[in-house]
Amino acid sequence: MSDLRIIDIEKKYRSAQAKDEASFLLSPVQLTIREGEFFSLLGPSGCGKTTLLKLVAGLLEADGGELWFGNENLSNVPPESRKFAMVFQQSLLFPHKTIEDNVAFGLKMQKVGKKKRLNAARSMLDHVGLSGFGRRFPEELSGGQQQRVALARALVANPRVLLMDEPFSALDPSLREEMRELLSQIQKDFRVTVLFVTHDRDEAFALSDRIAVMGEGQLRQIGSARQLYERPHNTVVASFLGLKNILSGQVTNGRFVSSDKIIDASVHHPLADGDYYMIIRPESIKAAAADQSGHVSIRGIVQEMKYVSGSYNLKVIAETQVLECVLTPFQAEQTAVGESIDLLVDMKEVWFLKE
Amino acid sequence: MWQKSKPYLLLLPASFTIILLFFGGIFDGLLKSFGYFPAIGETGLNLTAYDRLLHSSDFWQSMALTLRVAALSSLISAIIGAFLAVALFFVNNSTKKAIPRPWQRLFQLPLTIPHLVAGYMVVLLFTQSGFVSRLLATVGWIDGITEFPVLVNDSFGWGIILTYAWKEAPFVALMLYPVLSRIHGSWSDVSRVFGAGPWQFIREVVVPVMMPAWTIATFIVFVFTFSAFEVPYLLGVTYPSVLPVYSYQLYTSGTLSDRPEALAVNMILAAITILLGLVAYYISKRWNVLKGWG
Repeated sequence: MSDLRIIDIEKKYRSAQAKDEASFLLSPVQLTIREGEFFSLLGPSGCGKTTLLKLVAGLLEADGGELWFGNENLSNVPPESRKFAMVFQQSLLFPHKTIEDNVAFGLKMQKVGKKKRLNAARSMLDHVGLSGFGRRFPEELSGGQQQRVALARALVANPRVLLMDEPFSALDPSLREEMRELLSQIQKDFRVTVLFVTHDRDEAFALSDRIAVMGEGQLRQIGSARQLYERPHNTVVASFLGLKNILSGQVTNGRFVSSDKIIDASVHHPLADGDYYMIIRPESIKAAAADQSGHVSIRGIVQEMKYVSGSYNLKVIAETQVLECVLTPFQAEQTAVGESIDLLVDMKEVWFLKE
Repeated sequence: MWQKSKPYLLLLPASFTIILLFFGGIFDGLLKSFGYFPAIGETGLNLTAYDRLLHSSDFWQSMALTLRVAALSSLISAIIGAFLAVALFFVNNSTKKAIPRPWQRLFQLPLTIPHLVAGYMVVLLFTQSGFVSRLLATVGWIDGITEFPVLVNDSFGWGIILTYAWKEAPFVALMLYPVLSRIHGSWSDVSRVFGAGPWQFIREVVVPVMMPAWTIATFIVFVFTFSAFEVPYLLGVTYPSVLPVYSYQLYTSGTLSDRPEALAVNMILAAITILLGLVAYYISKRWNVLKGWG
């Protein structure tokens, strides 16, 4: 199998002022990206995801660790010989080359004959929906079209791994959506291994087979979108993925009592006694008064209501705890800001983390 | 009305001086090259001076020398200048800082020195009795200073070429550097990821990007060296001489009847320069697509 294996790769950036202290540290990363997999590195700005991508590309020199592709050790192989391709945040097309020459650039570097490489470039332009644009120059294309060309340039060289550094972040939302769909389709058609960097949770969730959440130069958790969202390993990952309902409390004899006493319910998972965080996904909170088995009832005051594409996001304050929940427009119409509301939390849907 | 015309009126003295001196001089020269010379009683217009020139072997030898000196000077300074600019670009890229000040000063130095002084420096350094010759003789690389090749006041024009190469290469480099500094730092990353080594990056990206500015810089050097007077006058031989010196020799030869020929030489020089300007303009128009890049 031609998996991409990252073994304890690390990188230190020295600060310009303090001579002894590293200003940024990418802690040793251990990661295997399977052949044909769409793998995303997800994290906030400055967490080290682009550094890791550039280390994989060979554009940065690692301070330690190894990079393997199948049985080939790429640790000391220069980027031009790794047979990877990359799409950057900006399209970075060469302005003096026509679109088809830009697309054929990688093949030209591989010494592929002119006729063959231009035919391949035209066919790839057709794939990204830009047939007939080959003779134009980059400045004659829109931002979205330029990024499609950058994608075609990366794919035409038949790379072993396609590296993508926030390629759609400079595009407007509708174009971003369109590009995601195109990339998803192309990745399925070509079965290319993709290592994708993004800070956009929805983008990572929509595209990826697996995701690694990064923070402060470390890999926090690896898993599928659902695993990460429903079973985060720590509160940092949970917060980054938008899970803001984190209640601290104690489990005693199979019963969780939150610190502010708004929740007192038996837990569905076998948990040892101790201090825990209970994480409630906004979607697992319903607006309902009647008690149902396996549910816990919370009464609070609506602090904020926001309409977001088809549903309402509510912030409800219960004692000192702010809870975020998602309601249908029908449910939301029954309440208003400042009014009290009864919420039901399905205890089967909550997730506990040891403090 | 006054507000509208005020700027033009303020510009009038300067415009008048430029028009009078530049176009007036050219017009006067043109008239005289056509044989209009009231001082010697010639008031008719004819092409005799041009005809005599075009049938004179001295003129064609002079033309050949001028073209050779100008072509070699511009070619050598273009190559050295481009090499310097690319080297500065890579030094800059590797240090991620602007050009270090001492380097900048070093490249600016030849620009501040007048051509005549540069010519004298070449005389002092490269004549057979010059500094380099005596240094080589002292360290034993040559047996005596007479073995040192004749580089100054030689019939090929090496001294002139050497002076212009030294003077104009930094000019070319400083013309190219701002263009190169607009090259996106990430283009190097792009080309590396797609399999290009440093030389392929230079060939595929750096050279095409600097080509328009390079052509213009080389053209400026060519036109300047083609019509320059003082350095060839100082470092050239009496025969054959470059066209501007040939024109001067004709003009000051003593007979007024030679003057239309001298001015015809100047008109031919001006015509060739304009022609080359048009060629350079049309070449650079082909690269207009690069206008919006970066």
